[in-house]
Amino acid sequence: MKRALLIPCMLAPAVLFAQGFQVNLHGQKQIGMGTTGTALVQDAASVLFNPGAVAALPENDIQAGISPLMFKSAFNPSGSDATYNVNNKVATPFTAYAVWGPKGAKWKAGIGVYTPFGGLVDWGNSWQGRYVLESLDLKAIYVQPTFSYRINRQWSLGAGLVYNTGMVDLKKALPLTMSDGSDAQAQLKGTGHGWGWNAGVLYRPDSQWSFGLTYRSKVTTTINSGDALFTVPASLSASFPAGNKFSASIPLPSTTSLGVGYRLNDQWLFALDLSYVRWSVYQSLDFDYATNTSVLTDTHSPRNYKDAGSARVGAEFKPIPNFALRAGGGYVLTSVKDGYVTPEAPDANRLLLTAGVGYQIGRHFDINASFLYEKIAARTQTNIESNLSGTYKTNVYAPGLSVAYRW
Amino acid sequence: MKSQHTLYISGFIAAALMFSSCKPKFDEKSSAGSADFSRYISVGNSLTAGYADGGLYRAGQENSYPSMIAAQMKSIGGGAFNQPLFSTDQANGSGYLKLTGFDKNGLPVTAPVTTGLAVRGIVNIPGYGNVTTYTKYSGDIDNYGVPGIKLLHITSTAYGNLNGYFERMLPGEAGTNTTAYLDFVTAKPFTFFSNWLGNNDVLGYATTGGAGDVLTDKATFAALYQSLITKLTANGAKGVCATIPDVSAIPYFNTVTPALVLATVQASNATVKAIYISAKVNANASDNTYAARAATSSDHLILTFPTSLIGSTVSSPVGNVPYGLTPYAPIENKYVLDSSEVVITRDYITSYNNTIESVAGAAGLAVADMNAYLNKIAAGGILENGMSLNAAYISGGLFSLDGVHLTPRGYAVVANEFIKAINQKYNASIPLVNTSAYGGVKFP
Repeated sequence: MKRALLIPCMLAPAVLFAQGFQVNLHGQKQIGMGTTGTALVQDAASVLFNPGAVAALPENDIQAGISPLMFKSAFNPSGSDATYNVNNKVATPFTAYAVWGPKGAKWKAGIGVYTPFGGLVDWGNSWQGRYVLESLDLKAIYVQPTFSYRINRQWSLGAGLVYNTGMVDLKKALPLTMSDGSDAQAQLKGTGHGWGWNAGVLYRPDSQWSFGLTYRSKVTTTINSGDALFTVPASLSASFPAGNKFSASIPLPSTTSLGVGYRLNDQWLFALDLSYVRWSVYQSLDFDYATNTSVLTDTHSPRNYKDAGSARVGAEFKPIPNFALRAGGGYVLTSVKDGYVTPEAPDANRLLLTAGVGYQIGRHFDINASFLYEKIAARTQTNIESNLSGTYKTNVYAPGLSVAYRW
Repeated sequence: MKSQHTLYISGFIAAALMFSSCKPKFDEKSSAGSADFSRYISVGNSLTAGYADGGLYRAGQENSYPSMIAAQMKSIGGGAFNQPLFSTDQANGSGYLKLTGFDKNGLPVTAPVTTGLAVRGIVNIPGYGNVTTYTKYSGDIDNYGVPGIKLLHITSTAYGNLNGYFERMLPGEAGTNTTAYLDFVTAKPFTFFSNWLGNNDVLGYATTGGAGDVLTDKATFAALYQSLITKLTANGAKGVCATIPDVSAIPYFNTVTPALVLATVQASNATVKAIYISAKVNANASDNTYAARAATSSDHLILTFPTSLIGSTVSSPVGNVPYGLTPYAPIENKYVLDSSEVVITRDYITSYNNTIESVAGAAGLAVADMNAYLNKIAAGGILENGMSLNAAYISGGLFSLDGVHLTPRGYAVVANEFIKAINQKYNASIPLVNTSAYGGVKFP
């Protein structure tokens, strides 16, 4: 009669990164121009966009920006008239860059702190997919010291080392009913680290055209001792030991970007960026619990992501020298195959529209504002792991502001 | 100029924030199709009443599948749906089982709830026996689920005196009632019905190992089902009928297995090679010969079999022997649905279901094939909204502590099967129930 009470393995935690988790909010000027910048020599954000362009910057530059991001997703279950919206939560992707080099020197050193991956969704604890996910808060913060060298007027190179601190906090309900009728809960919370690098080259054949190529490497982030916290009925507590830990390894994919810039005149600047993201490194998500029980077993969830890319264009117009208007747009292909779409990143192909304004105050100060809107295409899916079936629709809004000091 | 540009930037941010408040929207289209849901009634037995955990109580009634279907019909012209609920003071109704924990072997321990009951008394009905009566319900009724009722009973004018759950819906005292169930449910006009009768015509036999009741005759079943449908559709109402699940698919018959009992015995006495049952010698329904034999995996011990009996000393023609471990003291018939009884039960269920399909089909009604659906659940389970649901006792999530009736989550899954059948037949679009919103067995 032993094990009459077997709880099925319901603990496959379905995290993590989808295209939806790549955050491309890395500088207000660049966001305004459709998140382009690989071939442009705009400001210290080149530390990320193209370390090769850092040495080509005419001035030293220190800047900080923030782009509060609202991920407004809604789910309509198949055959239902219900709509579940995510709760209003504001993620805070930020950037901080500094570049410095002696006046007239051929080199510049720089450092960047930015958030290239992250996600914040909170579906609440009463929605239809609560046993798949209640909420996910995910952040990756990259710190990148960089060195850049200008070979001549046409060519410059740069590279940086990346150190990542990743944080994950995932909550889901377990289909075990407590005596008060509520659901048992699981929470996985941890911090991990990883290393990577970033390198780029900039080529400016003449005063109008510019070309850039940047490679940002894969950063495998390993969480070694995350907390696996369970709120379960007392009669089942032996199956969910207190103080349990988990480990997981998550590959953040590499991104290769090719950019083209064209300066028509003092007023107009145009840019094009093409990016290729190697999401195929994300084949499965495996969780290893420090203590296993008959119901709490290690999990292996196939993800089978495919490589994906995006194309973006942008323009800047300066009606007067110290005031700029920017606009851009693009199209991003999803990395998530049919059957693998999950509520933590209800991904689909997305359309991107951006706008921005910039104002130069005096000789040294810049203030820039940006706005990004993403329309993620409606996608009707039945997930192969959970059978959660329905249509996702998502809008993303990210207004942003940055200030810079140049000297 | 300076302040003007600052104004531009502030204005830009203000506009961006305003735009950012838009949520995605879906276009919803619901339709009643060719059906009219303005008064929906449900006809059936304990499953329809919301019976769970070995009793009928208010929380179970509130999670009955007809009440869920009715709630989903609201958006497409469905009206109020009244259930004969027990009052909040007597919310525990007939009483029911509660899970209190697990013993050292991991076995569930249950205890009966004995307070807040709605028991009115016990009446002796001459020629029948004692009937427990419950506090009367005098309000409007749309859910006519009566625990215990068989199809065999629906035209009986005496039944209102023999079943306390039916008696409480009627105005008269037990012993004085003369209204047949079928006349009672059809007394007021209705536009749509669900009908899940017939389960007890086999369950009464099966749950007592073939010892405590008899199967309803196949021809009688067919004739009564025809009268039932004729009467329900007499005024043009449309509806949905459900087939009868194979009883051997439920945890009541699959939790205390012969192999499990044998393994438990062998853990302390390795010399025991088999457990013995009193089994029907053949699958001929009219031949009632039983004989002792070793149990196999095709025999089903019932959930309520007191396992402590095994090995206890009992007297037999050859002297004192251990119960269940020799052919001289087999496990009694009433605790076992043996393989021959399974064959007979299945044969009757197949016949009943053929009747249901053909009679409902001829009347142009929708049919929810609960037999096929429950078999699918028993065979491998279903995956729903990230929940893995199956026919296992307690852990499966669908069956309540009595092993026969469902949990709220189980009833929600059933409600969706009805809704799918209705939608398909009448080209309607009743929204599906959110099964995640209903719980399974409550753990202490």
